[in-house]
Amino acid sequence: MTRLVVGPFNRVEGDLELTLDIEEGRVAEARVATTLYRGFEQILVGRPAHDALTIAPRICGICSVSQSLAAAAALREISGVMPPPNGELAANLVHAAENIADHLSHFYLFFMPDFARAEYAGKPWHAEIAARFKATEGTAAREMLPARARLLHIMGLLAGKWPHSLALQPGGVTRALDLGGKMRLLAILGDFRAFAEKSLFGAPLEDIAALETPAQLRAYAEKKADFPAFLRLAGDLSLDKLGRCALPLMSFGGYYGSEGPLFQAGVVDPAGAVKKMGRIGEQVAASYFADSAEDPFRAHTLPDMERIGAYSFAKAPRLDKNPAETGAVARQAVAGQKLVRALLQNSGGSHVLARVVARVVEIAQVTIAAESWARALNVRESFCETAPPLASGAAIGKVEAARGALGHWVSVERGHIRAYQIIAPTTWNFSPRDAAGVPGPLEQALVGVETGALGAKAAAIQHVVRSFDPCMVCTAH
Amino acid sequence: MSATETFYDVIRRQGITRRNFSKFCSLTAASMGLGATGASQVAHALETNPRVPVIWMHGLECTCCSESFIRSAHPLVKDVVLSMISLDYDDTIMAAAGHQADAILQETRQKYKGKFILAVEGNPPLNEDGMFCIDGGRPFVEKLKEMAADAMAVIAWGSCASWGCVQAAKPNPTHAVPIDKVITDKPIIKVPGCPPIAEVMTGVITFVNTFGRLPELDRQGRPLMFYSQRIHDKCYRRPHFDAGQFVEEWDDENARKGFCLYKMGCKGPTTYNACSTVRWNDGVSFPIQSGHGCIGCSEDGFWDKGPFYERLSNIHQFGIEANADKIGIAATAAVVGAMAIHAGITAVGRLRANGKPHDTPPSAPQK
Repeated sequence: MTRLVVGPFNRVEGDLELTLDIEEGRVAEARVATTLYRGFEQILVGRPAHDALTIAPRICGICSVSQSLAAAAALREISGVMPPPNGELAANLVHAAENIADHLSHFYLFFMPDFARAEYAGKPWHAEIAARFKATEGTAAREMLPARARLLHIMGLLAGKWPHSLALQPGGVTRALDLGGKMRLLAILGDFRAFAEKSLFGAPLEDIAALETPAQLRAYAEKKADFPAFLRLAGDLSLDKLGRCALPLMSFGGYYGSEGPLFQAGVVDPAGAVKKMGRIGEQVAASYFADSAEDPFRAHTLPDMERIGAYSFAKAPRLDKNPAETGAVARQAVAGQKLVRALLQNSGGSHVLARVVARVVEIAQVTIAAESWARALNVRESFCETAPPLASGAAIGKVEAARGALGHWVSVERGHIRAYQIIAPTTWNFSPRDAAGVPGPLEQALVGVETGALGAKAAAIQHVVRSFDPCMVCTAH
Repeated sequence: MSATETFYDVIRRQGITRRNFSKFCSLTAASMGLGATGASQVAHALETNPRVPVIWMHGLECTCCSESFIRSAHPLVKDVVLSMISLDYDDTIMAAAGHQADAILQETRQKYKGKFILAVEGNPPLNEDGMFCIDGGRPFVEKLKEMAADAMAVIAWGSCASWGCVQAAKPNPTHAVPIDKVITDKPIIKVPGCPPIAEVMTGVITFVNTFGRLPELDRQGRPLMFYSQRIHDKCYRRPHFDAGQFVEEWDDENARKGFCLYKMGCKGPTTYNACSTVRWNDGVSFPIQSGHGCIGCSEDGFWDKGPFYERLSNIHQFGIEANADKIGIAATAAVVGAMAIHAGITAVGRLRANGKPHDTPPSAPQK
């Protein structure tokens, strides 16, 4: 057996280190370490409750809207304020812009460049992929970045600035759009649709959202655009057999509105059977933290660098004592998206292909939904209800960030934060081992991956890690 | 990549048109306040001076600075990123991984010894011997000191590197410190903000490439061209402040009329930044335009200056201007006195006496 340490990782958000035990050219065991800790859960305690809206988003510069919305959701439940429809629509639009932007960065800047590596030089698709996606040189980033920046004008219009927007409040958004603003919003979404349909999909968004079977996906893969190009190489490399993980898939549900959420909350197993949500708890057996209650409402987070057996600053979140996978693939599976369900069923678990397909298909779905939210804004009506002063109470602020289920467990006493615990999507996916020694989703997905002669440098390792689109600064916060 | 290559060589090789390059120069010159001949000055310098290599490192941070940077207004900025930074080293977007990435870092450091700019996003935590931020198996603080030793100058991106930011908020569990606490012998340009405005970031890098020296800094180490005015000075809602017209609640009638947000806790009158002129997301807007007050995220210590949502109910209508001016004058005095100070002599960081970390902080509420 050889033990390899892979890190620092590039093209992921934050710091990450893997320890791999290799036997006969395959990963026998994997340990994933989050190597960065700041202590937000300690910092937030004692502050005026609403200040969570300015401190908590700063956990992450990539998913800051998700963090804002989770904090706002918890405070909303504690205060009982009800945002007007415009407030919900505007928050959905801001959230959609961030999530789509994250999916784009992942696909174009983080995930695809690995297929331009020299080890694939013999593949028939290599020249095309390298020209388009090679890190910092490919032509694709030059088309995507301006389109992404243009999409993020939505942040300017509705939230003032991004990252770390301030406009998102428990009672809605502070920015009331006028008619001109609404027209600009629709124009921005129109421009984004044009980019997505031409460069990414090579097809109308509606066609992508309507993909239901693997056979339809194979037929679509013949088109000329970036997503079909990925599908072709995914077939050649059998990415549906790489990075398997057969854990429950969990989603907190996303984009709420008067007609319910666009993506519902829940838990399904890889075969698609619906399971109950279960109890969420965090364990610290392999984490650099002092012993603490598992229930996030009773837990505290205090570093303990001397802990025997600890190897990560991430805690180990568990759903009824078991690890669970979260992210676009879980969101789509729970929401019943037929193509993603079929891809999971065929393999008895999630895999690199399903994770990427779920994410890219979601770009189409959410863009279509965003257009309808923008049209539904009634600029003569209110955008924000003022929340009453906070007294005491406790609530969980749950949202779906781009990378999956994000929760803020908040207790307030006399208007001040008594306790604040955060479980981020990548804390779930890149969880270390728990008290029973059970590995987290990525640790399970890496087992069996062939590394061959390249060892830790094998692209397969990179594909599996990046297929989860990790956000390491959220993970340990 | 040759050391004598110019910025212009690199971007032309990447297929950027001359026209786009000229537009970039005019925009940058305008944002730096260079006047009528500025654009050609910038263009000439970028065509003839050797490119200044930039190494971009990440410490304890949230990557918001990178995220802001890659969305700068002019399309060419992405090529500024691609051609100037990632050719050297940036761990968010570069191609290499693992030890290969570390090797590139070391190689760049050797090759451009004493000639590169070290751009630092985030900051080092000192508790537990720096173990709260491990980068490539070593505490970030060690890597930072090592890289800084061979740098020509250092850019502190954002409020983390400049002041400490949220991870340094009470009780500062990891003892995160601004980089000038550990880098004491190099000029440091502080570009605060959480995050800083993209155009301010590209402006700073382009200035260094254009003039081969650091921009003029104020006494706190910030480039004067972007941080010499308060948000309040150029705020489009200023007439409402002067007229005593204030928003009382989010999205009330007064908010719809665009009244001043001072009573909602706006910190524009005490915050030095370019938000109200350069604005955000390609000049679309900035926090005050979104109906929310400024929280002063570019100011030292902003993270512990809450509550951010306490309404000011005791403003006397006729005393307002005096109040604001008092605030403004006090804050401006600190800056004006420092107008002429150049970067070279602003490396005033002090090494902590013996680097002894704080004890594990108490978990009790501080308020």
